[in-house]
Amino acid sequence: MSKIVVIGAGIAGLTATLRCVAAGHQVTTITKGIGGLQLGQGTMDILGYMPNRVERPLDDLAALADEHPDHPYAILNADAVRTGVNYFAELVGEDLLVGDPERNVFLPTAVGALRPTALAQPSMMAGQLSDGDSVVMVGIRQLKDFYPGLAAQNLARSTLPDGGRAAVRATYIDLPARKGEADATALTYARVMDDPTFRQLFVTAVKKVIEPGEKVGLPAMLGLKDPNSWREVAEGLGTEVFEVPLQPPSVPGMRLNQTLVDKVKNARVRWVYGSQVLGGVAENGRLTGVVAGTTGHNVTFPADAVIHAPGGFESGALELDSYNHVFERTFDLPLAGADNEELLHGNYWGEEQPLFRVGVRVDEQMRPVDADGSAVYENLHAAGGIIANANRWREKSGDGIAVASAVRAADSLSTPTTAAASGAMDSKGDN
Amino acid sequence: MTDKSYAEEQLTRATLDHCVKCTICETACPVSAVTPLFPGPKFVGPQAERFRNGLSVDHSVDYCSSCGACTLACPQGVQIAELNSQARAVMKKNHMPLRDQLVSRTTLMGTFMTPVAPIANMALDMKPVRTIVEKVVGIHRNAPMPTARTQTLAGWLKKRPKPAEPATRGPIVYFHGCAGGYFETETSKKAILVLEHLGYEVLVPKQGCCGLAQQSNGLFEGATKSVLKLCEQLRSAGKDLTIVSTSGSCAGMLKHEAHEIMGVNAEELHDVGARTREMSEFLLDLYEAGELDTNFERNDITIPYHAPCQLKSQGMGMPAIALMELIPGVSVVESGQACCGIAGTYGLKKEKYDIAQAVGAALFKMVKETNPDLAVCDTETCRWQIEASSGVKTVHPIWLIHQAYGLPDPR
Ligand SMILES: Cc1cc2nc3c(=O)[nH]c(=O)nc-3n(C[C@H](O)[C@H](O)[C@H](O)COP(=O)(O)OP(=O)(O)OC[C@H]3O[C@@H](n4cnc5c(N)ncnc54)[C@H](O)[C@@H]3O)c2cc1C
Ligand code: SF4
Ligand code: SF4
Repeated sequence: MSKIVVIGAGIAGLTATLRCVAAGHQVTTITKGIGGLQLGQGTMDILGYMPNRVERPLDDLAALADEHPDHPYAILNADAVRTGVNYFAELVGEDLLVGDPERNVFLPTAVGALRPTALAQPSMMAGQLSDGDSVVMVGIRQLKDFYPGLAAQNLARSTLPDGGRAAVRATYIDLPARKGEADATALTYARVMDDPTFRQLFVTAVKKVIEPGEKVGLPAMLGLKDPNSWREVAEGLGTEVFEVPLQPPSVPGMRLNQTLVDKVKNARVRWVYGSQVLGGVAENGRLTGVVAGTTGHNVTFPADAVIHAPGGFESGALELDSYNHVFERTFDLPLAGADNEELLHGNYWGEEQPLFRVGVRVDEQMRPVDADGSAVYENLHAAGGIIANANRWREKSGDGIAVASAVRAADSLSTPTTAAASGAMDSKGDN
Repeated sequence: MTDKSYAEEQLTRATLDHCVKCTICETACPVSAVTPLFPGPKFVGPQAERFRNGLSVDHSVDYCSSCGACTLACPQGVQIAELNSQARAVMKKNHMPLRDQLVSRTTLMGTFMTPVAPIANMALDMKPVRTIVEKVVGIHRNAPMPTARTQTLAGWLKKRPKPAEPATRGPIVYFHGCAGGYFETETSKKAILVLEHLGYEVLVPKQGCCGLAQQSNGLFEGATKSVLKLCEQLRSAGKDLTIVSTSGSCAGMLKHEAHEIMGVNAEELHDVGARTREMSEFLLDLYEAGELDTNFERNDITIPYHAPCQLKSQGMGMPAIALMELIPGVSVVESGQACCGIAGTYGLKKEKYDIAQAVGAALFKMVKETNPDLAVCDTETCRWQIEASSGVKTVHPIWLIHQAYGLPDPR
């Protein structure tokens, strides 16, 4: 049993934490705040675009690696991604994620586009449409983030995966989540939808505005804690329903996040929440601990190995100063792609921004390496958005990279025990 | 490798300009979850702050309980709760309700009530008295009130026999907080006995209030005076000594709130703040250094545990869980709730009482279902709230440790 410190609690940090627990390690997870899971769609994206729409994500990884030899997926092959994704799906269970990592599904978004993803929540799966389907998108007047007209019109114009079209119309119901509130978020609705009485009111209201034979698209707010909430709605309406994820706060994302955080806490991980890791303590090329800024005084958490999962630029793991110098804030790790003259260009809708590919380069064990390719610290491993050379949101590859790298990092930890073992083997080989 | 201090990191990062409007804080706020009267941390925090320019533009910020759940959740390091506390102080300046001044004077209440404890307790138990108090002062009739004791901690310390064993580990300073000095003296006594059992010479300097209640009510001037006076008192016990506290929330005032919320920058505060350890934090540190006596008597029990919001805000995790589970047979169930609702004095106020009860509802239910006889929580006001609303006796973690060491009841 080794002492492992995991930094960050996004999809990568939480997955790495639980994988380390399963291996019998004693884990401390330190995170500045809640991670990005509840900002996403609550699905598992492996690869969506390259740049054309991807049908079979794992099959296409080899082509991606050929084109971008330094892409994280080139270091993590299809097997590693399959292992990571399956492990994650097992962690959250079939109430929360279903599907097949080999094959993408295409699900309607809140603006009525069809978005590729590998695994999705069961409440979303009826959104796989085929030619001739009739669909109604139902909004709520008091919900501020869902415009059924926009979603319906765009969806009606979209070519479905089978080449056909669906007939899509839009309608509204009038049902405040709480008295006197005119602009509630999906989260407010999801909380009241956990209550069977409100659920009944909702079903009654929706029933009045739908026609027989229509599939019903609803904003993703069908319950936060109760995994059967959406099934009851479907049964009550007597037709297929699908949840459409909205902008944050993302209810499907919160379901995933809460499930994982509960697992982490119940596993008696030392859960240090709300503190930032400021740096590490190193000895002979190894980290012996990390320093966290808790209130009043800094605390050193001893570590045999560290998994660094602080996210990317978007979570403040990387910082760009006014001299166009980008650096990694925790360990000042060497960064790939940082010496570009124009890290950000002014054309918002134009070519991808070079800054978003900046990150750490890693070896097969997910250890950040320097320009020569040797590990910065023997026992520092990285996972998730901190890894360089992916354009995660354009490719829709952020989730897959995160879980695959987290599992790989946890499975190849360099602790004093493993280091001693491999040292013994090496010397044997020398003889 | 690093010489950046917490304060420097926070000061360089924690401005509202770091807000990316991600809504993560909104999902963590226990108040906006139960009432539409409060628009949530992102809105009253980094968003409204842009328009305040030192003035107050909105009144909804008064519904923020300052529980700090938003600050903890924010991945960008925006100090939302701190911004709110500052905005509230500005808003209430010049027209501070008498009630808010009264409930903040914890030591005053303690000194007042001790000599007349039986009468005070009786009066506070009577419905008609509480109804008048609600009408005149604005403290809700059902809000939990402390039980006054006939003997203060100082009184006990003076009378009790000296410890039989000589100290083997040197001196340590004990900070009991107002409640620990006047109302919950039992917790303080047990803490002192445990520390003595571990070999410490426990120094208990005369100590006043940390000013937390004044601070959370926006009375920064009085709070600053209180906290600085307390720092001097704690320093008088000896230089460089560790200061241990059983008052989960008051420890937070010394460690960070006085500096971060009120901008107090005095050397004595930084000195005391850096030496302060919350009791479970201190004992778990000892354990991890291999220096804690773990000769505990078995106690087969499942206990609900709630970490107070102001304890979680100290960013050290929940050391009480691991500590209590060192006792063979103890299994802890963590509440998973951000706040019990009381948030210091918030839930006492007549216009906020119902909100506070709604905030705590899931916690009270969880406590009752997990163990109808005993719950654990690290801060006094939260324990009173949990006890009053769930009917379950609620104690500080040190009670379990004291019992597991087989120590006698304090006399
Ligand atoms: C606008 C946008 C859209 C995106 N869309 C998609 C998409 O459609 N599909 C897709 O697959 N991916 C998408 N991504 C990418 C995806 O969100 C990320 O790749 C993924 O969230 C990374 O997860 P993570 O666990 O590595 O980091 P995060 O989820 O960012 O978590 C990082 C964690 O580390 C903590 N932390 C950071 N520094 C420290 C420190 N020093 N000490 C302690 N804790 C620290 C943070 O508080 C946080 O909890 C998108 C990203 C953005 C910004
Ligand atoms: S969590 Fe932080 S960054 Fe996100 S909206 Fe709230 S204050 Fe802004
Ligand atoms: S301090 Fe608590 S009540 Fe106030 S905004 Fe933050 S989470 Fe909400």
